[in-house]
Amino acid sequence: MQPALTVSTERLQAARPRKRFPLSFLLAGIAILGAILYLVYANTQANAVYYMTVPELKHCTICVTQSVRVAGYVQANSIKRDDRTQSISFVIEDSHQTLPVVYSGVVPDIFRAGVQVVVEGHYSKGTVGRQPFQAQTLLAKCPSKFQSAST
Amino acid sequence: MDAHRVRSSSEGNETTVYFSDLGSIALILALGFALYTVVIAILGATRAQSQLVVSAKRSLLVVTILLLLASAALVASFLTHDFGVKYVAQTSSRAMPWYFTTAAFYGGQQGSLLYWALILSLFSAIFVLTSKRVPIALIPYIMATLMGIEAFFLIVLTSVSNPFVRSAVVPADGAGLNPLLMDPGMLIHPPMLLMGYVSFSVPFAFVVSAMITGKLNNEWLRAIRRWTLAAWTIQMTGLILGAWWAYHVLGWGGYWSWDPVENAALLPWLTATAFLHSTMVQERRGMLKAWNLFLPMASFALSIFGTFEVRSGVISSVHSFAYSDIGTYFLTFLTIVMVFSSILFLFRLPKVRPDQEFDSMISREGVFLLNNLLLVGMAFATLWGTLFPLISAFMRGQTMTVGTPFYNNVMAPLIVVLILAMGIGPLLAWRRTSPTALWRNLSMPMIIAAICAVILPLLGVIDIAANIGFTVCTFAASAMLYELWRGMRVRHAHGEPYAIALVMLFKRYRQRYGGYIVHLGFVLLVVGVIGSHYFQLQSAVVLNQGQDTQLAGYRLVYLGNIDTKEPDKETITAQLQIWHDGQLQGYIYPGRIIYRNYGNQPASLISITTFGATDLYVYLENWSGLSQADIRIFVNPLVPFVWYGALLMIIGGVFCWWPVGSEKLLRKSPARKMTQLTSHKVTYMLL
Repeated sequence: MQPALTVSTERLQAARPRKRFPLSFLLAGIAILGAILYLVYANTQANAVYYMTVPELKHCTICVTQSVRVAGYVQANSIKRDDRTQSISFVIEDSHQTLPVVYSGVVPDIFRAGVQVVVEGHYSKGTVGRQPFQAQTLLAKCPSKFQSAST
Repeated sequence: MDAHRVRSSSEGNETTVYFSDLGSIALILALGFALYTVVIAILGATRAQSQLVVSAKRSLLVVTILLLLASAALVASFLTHDFGVKYVAQTSSRAMPWYFTTAAFYGGQQGSLLYWALILSLFSAIFVLTSKRVPIALIPYIMATLMGIEAFFLIVLTSVSNPFVRSAVVPADGAGLNPLLMDPGMLIHPPMLLMGYVSFSVPFAFVVSAMITGKLNNEWLRAIRRWTLAAWTIQMTGLILGAWWAYHVLGWGGYWSWDPVENAALLPWLTATAFLHSTMVQERRGMLKAWNLFLPMASFALSIFGTFEVRSGVISSVHSFAYSDIGTYFLTFLTIVMVFSSILFLFRLPKVRPDQEFDSMISREGVFLLNNLLLVGMAFATLWGTLFPLISAFMRGQTMTVGTPFYNNVMAPLIVVLILAMGIGPLLAWRRTSPTALWRNLSMPMIIAAICAVILPLLGVIDIAANIGFTVCTFAASAMLYELWRGMRVRHAHGEPYAIALVMLFKRYRQRYGGYIVHLGFVLLVVGVIGSHYFQLQSAVVLNQGQDTQLAGYRLVYLGNIDTKEPDKETITAQLQIWHDGQLQGYIYPGRIIYRNYGNQPASLISITTFGATDLYVYLENWSGLSQADIRIFVNPLVPFVWYGALLMIIGGVFCWWPVGSEKLLRKSPARKMTQLTSHKVTYMLL
């Protein structure tokens, strides 16, 4: 009698669906996931930057307080260096509209007239569309791509 | 007269056969054999006919040989300057040295896809030739999956992206490779990274086979772990080489910029790292089985996503590759892969049951869970940031991007917790650890970390975030070293000298101590990242001959410019003296090389001088004549630690992976070990 009984309880235990995670694990996991999601959410809010075209930027209302990204092609003969302020100025062009830009920082090797660049920065107060765009970062794309498109 | 063609005359008519024709034929044949392998392997498995499986193995090896042949044909086309082949004309020129001409193989899209297919076929062949210990029921499905992937690449290669396409007019010379790519980095970084991407296919094939057959035993786990370890190490090496190249050659100033293309390469590595940890939970406790099926699928899907992202141009990146409609093919393939594996996964999920339950959070498996959450969270954040332009365009109708600050702010806290877990985890027992035991193991590292936290501000490090980072790193490193020390002491108590005890620990517990090497490397790398992120100094000055400038105790005296003209390029360097500690430390020559035949594109010559653990990074921004230079100086503290740490991580990965130890040791009988121990003791006493 006795042994048979033990077997049946064992079987019962085996048949019962198992709990995958104890509650404490579940709560801790949710807390960590929540923290990660919050980090991602909060930093997205804080660091998201509008990606605009040159024509869009002309009517920009937020570009004084917030940084924006703009892409365009560097116009021929527009690159000028100012040794006094350690900055360069140039004009980018997109959809037949132009945007003068001032930048100080590391200039990529591939930066020159004709290349596509992405600048990130803002306007000084009250100068939207009149003074040059103040760029904090300058990214240049390889004009020939990694593979030459000469053909 | 033409080296690149093989002339054969038949019945008086001369037909010209190019190497590229051989390549085209080899690719088509390879596609046929790959499809045949898929069909015959599945038939062999479902009908339990072993001769069909043997046939599948042979045809898989034929695919490998055909791809070797196709690749050899492409290399031959390059080396013989057969500019009739469009791809050769686009990526190479006569002026290039032979090694860059060969490297141009993967310099463009078509060639890099061929390289992908070649490496996949080589991995498949290695799998077939070393599959003795893999459960026999899995082999046909693994082969079918690998050749299914191979077939996709071969379809692309034989249709839209054929490297052997010829043009009607043969140009006299090719366009050449961008000078920025003419660097030794080009010879190792792209092939390594591509190989990393490819290598995630094998663990994926293992997962598919396990989901179909339902056989996920320990043999399977060991095999997939080894392949993942290899993939992980290769991918990491590729990433590190890229960082090294960017820092030393490209003049981007840093070694990592959270560019979409870099992120794409990081993603599968993160999920693979999570997998390497969670498999240990499955091995020891029989848990997390479903999760362990998911992670390799994620790694593979992310590596295909990376290839898609790089090639499609949906997300703008500094790494601009030639865009083409090939993105659509990859998106389709990615969708097929994800739908196929999700269906298999959902089908298998109800049958995957854990052997045991979780007992306590303060246990080894508890920390592994935390580690997995963090790593997958990091992967999610990276993917989110990378895709944010698309997400925002879809949700708000306005394209927005997130840059480096987003990644830094999200990653930093996660990495801090990860390193804490790295320090605590190895000190915990499986199942549960009593608080007293925990305290016994943790007290020493915590005291050392506390000392570090107090000393750092006294040494002038007052940035709170940096101090937290350094303290946590100190904690983790000392916890690991303390653990190692305790292991040595135990063996020493049994009569081994300390040095031999150390060697024996590493030999006996490869996985564990190899893991510690990786962990130590990672901690070192993070120390380097913190140093260069928080304490970098920079200045930009215009110097006239004889003038000097000072930054953080380094004085640079400008002596003038040197201009060297060569037929194909002009090199301009500024000559500067470095003075430090009141002594002349040496001369540096930052400069530019201007390549005439490539639209006068300049390439930077960056001067990096390492003083202890600080890099003095000097960059020539502009010059005028021979007596004026515009220079930018960075003082990058602790950057060398990034490289030392990275090197340690690679060494640790290879050490864990290296095949010799485990099998030999398994065969060693305990008795033999005992005699070895005594013999060491004897030697020790004799000495």
